[in-house]
Amino acid sequence: MDWSALHVSLTLAALTTLALLPVGLALARWLAVTAWAGRPVVEALLLLPLLLPPTVIGFYFLVAFGQGSAVGAWLAASGIRLVFTLEGLLLVSVLVNLPFMVQPIQRAFAAVPHSLREAAWVSGLSTWQTFWRIELPLAWPGLLAGMALTVAHTLGEFGVVLMVGGNIEGETRTLSVSLYDKVQGMDLQSAHVMALALVGVSLLALTLVLAFDRVGQRGRALQER
Amino acid sequence: MQGLQVQLRSANPIRLEAEFDCGAGELVALVGPSGSGKTSMLRAIAGLWTPADVQGHIRVAGQAWLDTAAGVQLSPQQRRAGLVFQHYALFPHMTALANVALAAGPGWSGADVQALLARLGLAPLSHRRPSQLSGGQQQRVALARALVRVMPTPSWASTPTHLPGVLLLDEPFSAVDAPTRQALYRELAALRQKVSVPMLLVTHDLAEARRLADRVVIVDAGQTLQTGEPSRVFASPRNARVAELVGIQNHFEGRFFKDHAKWGRLRWTDAAASDTGLDLTVFDKNKINDGTPVTWVLNGEQVDVMADGEVPNDARPGHTRLRCQLLEVLSLGEISLCTLRPEALPSQTITLNLTSRLLRRLQVGSGDWVQLLIAPGALHIMPVRTK
Repeated sequence: MDWSALHVSLTLAALTTLALLPVGLALARWLAVTAWAGRPVVEALLLLPLLLPPTVIGFYFLVAFGQGSAVGAWLAASGIRLVFTLEGLLLVSVLVNLPFMVQPIQRAFAAVPHSLREAAWVSGLSTWQTFWRIELPLAWPGLLAGMALTVAHTLGEFGVVLMVGGNIEGETRTLSVSLYDKVQGMDLQSAHVMALALVGVSLLALTLVLAFDRVGQRGRALQER
Repeated sequence: MQGLQVQLRSANPIRLEAEFDCGAGELVALVGPSGSGKTSMLRAIAGLWTPADVQGHIRVAGQAWLDTAAGVQLSPQQRRAGLVFQHYALFPHMTALANVALAAGPGWSGADVQALLARLGLAPLSHRRPSQLSGGQQQRVALARALVRVMPTPSWASTPTHLPGVLLLDEPFSAVDAPTRQALYRELAALRQKVSVPMLLVTHDLAEARRLADRVVIVDAGQTLQTGEPSRVFASPRNARVAELVGIQNHFEGRFFKDHAKWGRLRWTDAAASDTGLDLTVFDKNKINDGTPVTWVLNGEQVDVMADGEVPNDARPGHTRLRCQLLEVLSLGEISLCTLRPEALPSQTITLNLTSRLLRRLQVGSGDWVQLLIAPGALHIMPVRTK
């Protein structure tokens, strides 16, 4: 087992989830209630990382932030390097995980009946109080599902990691990249262990997602009774 | 100024022409078919719906909640509107107690809320969630939540004062079974003894409106058509549309003439231009001109039935005798729903609810002939609305 790779993977997954949660929550809540005509465009942009090959995302990231680009040069002058660093990996990881975080939360908020918001308003609650006391407690299964999916997807990400992060031990070499190395080096024993670990974590995350989804559905069924 | 005054006018997205009021302690029912705009009017009062082009005002206890002339528009949070939603809209993740406490103002303690729930028979259920309550229980929790909103302090029970809010009930009885509904009717009646606040009830159920409301407002296509005591509106609808909406069965066409000295003459015809017809004696209130086409309503409660050939032993002024054949008799227990065809105008039929006892006494059934004795007050005449 490559413990350093496991550490990088878990760090990346935790930081991605933490960074994405407020962004995803705000985006998802807005998408769930907005009547704005441009909403489908935003939704399509958010879903794009699901369809694009990771290499395309990695390529544009390198183009945007590499030494050759204006942004990259400006960042380098400020002492910030994003290419082949954990920070850069985190940035691109947040981007590609947007649909995994936003989708379940958006569905959870959309499932909160609008009459409950109105009931809160006529009961004297401000829109902000309504969000914290009514909407968020009802949408929490969606939040947990989004977080679980983000963790699982980050652990399983490969192509983008390789292109953006390279393969630097202790910095950007994740479990999935390390597994690739072991297979290349014919170390099948280590590969087995790491593959099994990834399968286990992903299975656990998916089980949690489905369990939360069921909790959410039960809650909605009760509201409609 | 006590009570609620509403005057709203808008064209988009739906046409709205609403004008009605509701005194403190009064219960007014907005009645109309689904889609007539009655719920929109309720939502406008609560501040949940305000058309961009709205003109008019909503005043409660002298305070303007909306006044387009003065540029006043309060938010739902600023209005003291206790709204009972059609499907209650209780917060599913909170207990009954928390649902009510959330709407209670700073003058309320937890014990006060608990006392209110106890008064509504909810004390043993206060720690249950909505999903663990029956429809009727949910309805009472929703009512409690609306009540605390219109009562700034819990002292209302000891000192019945005029409250600065309004209670809005959006079809609150539609989702519960009949026995529960009867119990809730009684609770609403009891509540009205204690809380002096304008109560507005939206319903499509005429019987419910008639039973509960002090006054009804008939609503159709976003417009308030007629306001008045239920018995008055049901007995004398202002126009044909109101008559249709309040479900009056015996609704006919004809023409009004003033060619008699004392009485008006109603010429009942099967179509506006037809020659066949029969004459009925009506009151002439000097409101309708000679020869005016009218629609008219026969109030079956003021019609007597006699055996065929029988002569009334007392001469009743203005009564019209009408020989009719019983086409159909549907027995509904004590009451029989009878369809009758006038001999002089066989194209028309009259529907009457007669007691089965009367039919037995007259020994008549389907196919037999009877006489109707129609009092002039049984006929309510309305000019035909011209576009």
